[in-house]
Amino acid sequence: MNIWKLLLTGSVTTIIAFIVGMTYMGLNRKITARIQNRVGPPIYQNFLDVLKLWSKKTAVHHGFMQHVAPLWMIAMSITTLMFIPILNNGSKFFVNLTFDGDLILLLYLMAIGSLGMALGAGQTGNPNSAIGVTRGLTQMVGFEIPWVMALVAMMIQYKTTSIAGIMDIQHQTGTWMMFSSPFAFLAALLVLPGMFRYSPFDIVGAPAELASGPISEFGGKYLATMMTSGSIFAFVKLTLYVDLFMGGASNLGILLVKTFTLYMFPVLWGVTSPRFRTEQSVKFFWGWPLVFGLLGLIQAAF
Amino acid sequence: MSNIIIILALFSWAILTYLAFRVNKTLGNIMVGLIAVALPVYFFTYTPADYSINIGGINLQLGFNSFSKLFAALVVVIGAFALFYSISYMSKRDRLGWFYFNFILSITGMLGILMSKDFVSFFIFWEIMTWSSYLIVVYNGKEVNKTGIKYMIFSAIGAYAMLMAIVLINKWSGNTGLENFFSTFSSYSTASKILVSSLLLTGFAVKSAIMPLHVWAPNAYTNSPMSYTVVFSGALSKMGIYGMALVAIKLYLQSGMHVYGEVLAWIGAITAVLATFWAIFQNDIRKLLAYSSIGQLGYIAVGLGIGTKMGVAAGLYLALLHGLFKSVLFMTAGAIEYRTGKTDFRELRGLIWKMPWTFFASLVAIIALAGMPPISGMVSKWLIYEALLNSQHYFLIILVFLASTSAFLYCFHFLFGVFLGQREDDIENVKEAPAFMTVPMVLIAFALIALGSFPGLILNPIADAMNYLGFSDFNWTMSSLTNEWGNRLLLKHVNTMFMVVFVVFFVVITLVSRRKTRRVGTKDIANAGEMVRKEDNYHFSENFYQPFWRVISPIMKNTVETIYLRFAKGIEEFFEYFRRIYTGNSQTNAFYVIIFLILLFIFGANLI
Amino acid sequence: MVNDKNSQKIVDIIQNYARKHSLFILAYGTGCGAIEVPPTMTSRYDAERFGIRGAATPRQADVLLITGYLATKTLKRVIRTYEQMQSPKYIIGFGSCTINGGMYWDSYNTIKRLDMYIPVDVYINGCMPRPESVIAGFIKLQKLIQAGKADGWDRYQKNLDFYRKNQKKIIKNWQMPDYNW
Repeated sequence: MNIWKLLLTGSVTTIIAFIVGMTYMGLNRKITARIQNRVGPPIYQNFLDVLKLWSKKTAVHHGFMQHVAPLWMIAMSITTLMFIPILNNGSKFFVNLTFDGDLILLLYLMAIGSLGMALGAGQTGNPNSAIGVTRGLTQMVGFEIPWVMALVAMMIQYKTTSIAGIMDIQHQTGTWMMFSSPFAFLAALLVLPGMFRYSPFDIVGAPAELASGPISEFGGKYLATMMTSGSIFAFVKLTLYVDLFMGGASNLGILLVKTFTLYMFPVLWGVTSPRFRTEQSVKFFWGWPLVFGLLGLIQAAF
Repeated sequence: MSNIIIILALFSWAILTYLAFRVNKTLGNIMVGLIAVALPVYFFTYTPADYSINIGGINLQLGFNSFSKLFAALVVVIGAFALFYSISYMSKRDRLGWFYFNFILSITGMLGILMSKDFVSFFIFWEIMTWSSYLIVVYNGKEVNKTGIKYMIFSAIGAYAMLMAIVLINKWSGNTGLENFFSTFSSYSTASKILVSSLLLTGFAVKSAIMPLHVWAPNAYTNSPMSYTVVFSGALSKMGIYGMALVAIKLYLQSGMHVYGEVLAWIGAITAVLATFWAIFQNDIRKLLAYSSIGQLGYIAVGLGIGTKMGVAAGLYLALLHGLFKSVLFMTAGAIEYRTGKTDFRELRGLIWKMPWTFFASLVAIIALAGMPPISGMVSKWLIYEALLNSQHYFLIILVFLASTSAFLYCFHFLFGVFLGQREDDIENVKEAPAFMTVPMVLIAFALIALGSFPGLILNPIADAMNYLGFSDFNWTMSSLTNEWGNRLLLKHVNTMFMVVFVVFFVVITLVSRRKTRRVGTKDIANAGEMVRKEDNYHFSENFYQPFWRVISPIMKNTVETIYLRFAKGIEEFFEYFRRIYTGNSQTNAFYVIIFLILLFIFGANLI
Repeated sequence: MVNDKNSQKIVDIIQNYARKHSLFILAYGTGCGAIEVPPTMTSRYDAERFGIRGAATPRQADVLLITGYLATKTLKRVIRTYEQMQSPKYIIGFGSCTINGGMYWDSYNTIKRLDMYIPVDVYINGCMPRPESVIAGFIKLQKLIQAGKADGWDRYQKNLDFYRKNQKKIIKNWQMPDYNW
C-alpha cells in the first residue's frame, strides 16, 4: 500500500466529493425554490456559505469537546469515503481503501460522527442541543432497521459483504439490484430521506422547532466544518446507493447522472411534505419500510 | 507446584486479610495490594501441574486447559485491578475485613471453577463463588430483602438444577469427570440428552443473566459496592458463559442437537434487545450499566449459540472485551459515587473538567461498548455480524442490530448525564478521583485503544481456546480479520485514516483565527437573549427519551418480574385453597386416617 | 513579487465577496417591522436569490435586523444577542423608529436613536418599508461589505465605553457579563 498514492487519490476523491456534494445541496435549494415559484440562490451558493463561515474573525466555543466535535464528523465522512468504490471499471486511480473494509464497517463508521457531534452538542450546556440529539438518536434507531434489512438481504443472497463484490454481481448478471431485489431497494429508498434528514424527518435540526437542535451553539469555523462534512457525507450516501442498487458507474459523468437521479427522490418528497414528530417518524420507519425489508429478506431466503 | 496450592494460598490469604483488618486498616490494605500484584504475576509466569485426589470414591481433579485458561486470565486481571481499585474506594467504610474475605474467596471460587476437571469440584467451587458474592451483595445492609433474597433464590434454582444434572451424569456416564462426560454424551437417549443439557444450561444461565432468569441482576449489581461489581459483572458472569460455551459446543454441536443451539441464540438475542430497551429508560447510572451488562451477555449467548467458528470466536472475543470495558464503566461509576455521593442522572451533571481522567476512561469504554471504530468494540461487532451472515441467520441479525443501535441511546445518556451539560453549584468542590482509582481505569482504557488496531493480541489465546473446543482457526492476522467469504477488514488502515484526518483538521481548525477564539462557560448559551442565572437549572435530565418511550411502550408494559410475582401469587393461592383440607377438627383428621388405611389395604398389594 | 498590501487586499476581496453573498439573518423580530420580513423571504420578493437565509441562533447569524421601535426591555436582550454573535456582524435598522424615534418619538419607553446603543450599518426608512425597500437596503449593505466599510463590529469594540455608558444609562437592571474578547 503506497502511502503517497493513497494520499493523492484520497485527496482527489475528497475534493471531488466536496464539490459534488456542495453542488447537489445548492441544486436542492434551487429546485426547491423553483417548485415554490421563485428564483432561488445560485447553484454555487453553498460554497459561498462555507467560505463566509471560514472567514469569520472570531469564534466561540464551550470547551474542548465542542472544539473537536466537528472534527469527528469530518474524519468520519472522509474515512467512510475511502471505503466506497467510486467507479466500477476496475480503475486503479480511485481505489482508495476499498478492499480493506466492508459494509459492516461502514454501518458502524457512519455512527461515530453523530456520537462526536452529540458529545460536542452536549458540552455546550444548551438544553436544546441535548433534546435535539436524543431525537436524532431515536430517529436513527428508526431508520437503521429497514436499512439493515435491505443490506442483509443482499449480502446473504450474494454471499459477499463488500460493496465492490455487490457491484461485480450486478455486472455479471447484467441487471441492477434495483430490479433483482426490488423489495430491498424499496426499503432502502424509503430510508434515504431519513438518512439525509430532509423533510419529513428533519425535526432534529429544525430552526423553528428546537432552535436548530444540536448545531445551535456552533458557529463560524465549526459550522463550516460541519457543512463540509455534511456535503461529503451526502456524496458518500448517494454513491453507496448507486453502487449497491444501480450497478455502479464506469466514469464520473455516469456517476453524476445516477446520483442526481437518486437524489431527486428525497428532494422532491421533502419539498412537499411537512414534518413528522419523532415518534411518528419512528413508527413510519417501522411500518411500510419494515414490511418491504421483511419481504426482501424472505425473497433472499428462498 | 500444583493447582491446589493456588486455591489453598488464596483461601489462607483471605483469612489472613480478614485478621489483618482486625488489627489495622493499613496492614489490611497492604495485604490486599500484595495479593492484587502477586496473583497475576504468579498466574502468567508459572504453569502449575494438575492435581487430583480421591475422596470416598469420587475423583476430584484440578487442571487448566487452554479454554479455561483464557477465562482464568480474565478473572485474574480483572480481580487484580478491582482489588487495587477498591483499596481506595472502600477506604471510608467499615467491616472491611469481612468484605475482602468474601472478595478474595469469590476470586478463589472462580479460579476453582475454571480449574475443575470433574463436576463435584466444579459444584463445590460454584457454591463458594455464589455464597461469597451473596454476602457481598448484602454487605451494605440496604434492601436486603429485595436484593439478597432474589439473588439467593435464583442462584439456588440454578445450583439445584446443576446438582440434579450432576447426579444424572454420575449415573449415566459412570463417573463425574468432565472429559468422560463429553465423550459419552452422544450415547445418551434423546430425552436424557435434553434433560441433562437443559438442567446444566439453567444453572449457567442464572449466573450469566439470560432472560427470563435475569431478574436478580440489576438490583444485585446496584447494591453491591462498585469495586465488587467490577468483578461481579466483569468476571463472575463469565463463569456462566464458560459453562454455556461448554454446553453449547461440546454437547449441542458434537451430538447433532443444533436446534437447541439456535434456541439459545434466539433467547440471547431477545435478552439483548429487551435489556437494552430497559437500560435506555433508567435514571440511576448503576442500573443502566447493569441492564447493559445483561444485554451484552445476550450478544455473547447469540455468538455461542449459533455454533460456527466465527460465532464462537465472536462470543469469546466479546466476553473478554466486555469484561474489560464493563470494569472500566463500573469503576467510573464508583469514582463518581465516591466523590459526589450521588448516582442519579437527575442530580449529576457537568463533571467533565472536574474529573477528566474519569471522563477519558468512560469515553473510551463507551465507544468500545457501542462498537465503533477506532476502538476495539468494532472487532467484536464485526465478528458477530459476519458470523451471523456467514451462517445465514437472517432474522437474528436484525434483532442483534436493533439492540446494537439502541445501545447508542444509553451510551449517550450516560456520557451526557454525568459529564456534560451545565454545572451545578454543589459540584464545585468535586476533585478528581484518587490515583488508586484512576490508574486502573486509564490503564484498561489504553489497553482497549491498543486492541482496537491490533486485535490479534488477544485473538491468539482465543484461537487456542477454540482449538480445545474443536474448531479450526478462522482467518486473522495481527491487525486484520477476514470472513469466510473473503472480505477483509484491515483495522490498521481504518484507524490510521481516521486519526490522520482528525489530526489534520484539528490543526486547521485550531490555527484559523486562533487568537480570536474564546471559550465561554456553559451558562452563556443562546437563550433568546436572556442571561442564565446561577439558580436556573437548564440541564436536561427528566424523561430523557420520551419519544422513544412513546414508540416502544407497548412492549415494555410487562416486566419479567411481574410474571414471576404473578406466578408466585398463583401458587400461593393454589396452596391456600389446598390448605383447607386441614379444618382443625380432630374428627375430620381421624376420618382422613381411616380413609388412608382403607386405600392402603386395597392397593397395598401392588406397592410391594 | 506580489506587493504585501495588494495580496492582503485580494484575500479581503474574496472574503468580502463571500460575506456579501451569504447573509444569515437572525430570526428575531424585535418590533412591528418584523411583519415585512416574511414577504421579503418568500416567493414573491424572494430574498434567497441574494443568498440571504434565516438562522436560528445568534451563534450562526451575521445580520441582526432591528425591525422597528425598540423598547428598553427589548434593548437589553438585543445587546445580549448582538454580543453573542460572531464577528463580522452587521446591524440593519428598519423603519423610522430606529432613526429618530419615528411614531413613538415622545414615548417614555422606547429609544430614539439606535446608533447610540449599538452600531448600525444600514438604515432603511419607511413605516414599514415595503419588501422592495428591504431588498434595496440589503443591496446597500452588500455594497458596503464589498468596499470593506461595513465595520460596525469593529466600531463597537473600539468604542465600547461610549456604547456601554449609553446603554447603562437607560437600562436600570444591568445584570449582564462584561463583554470580554
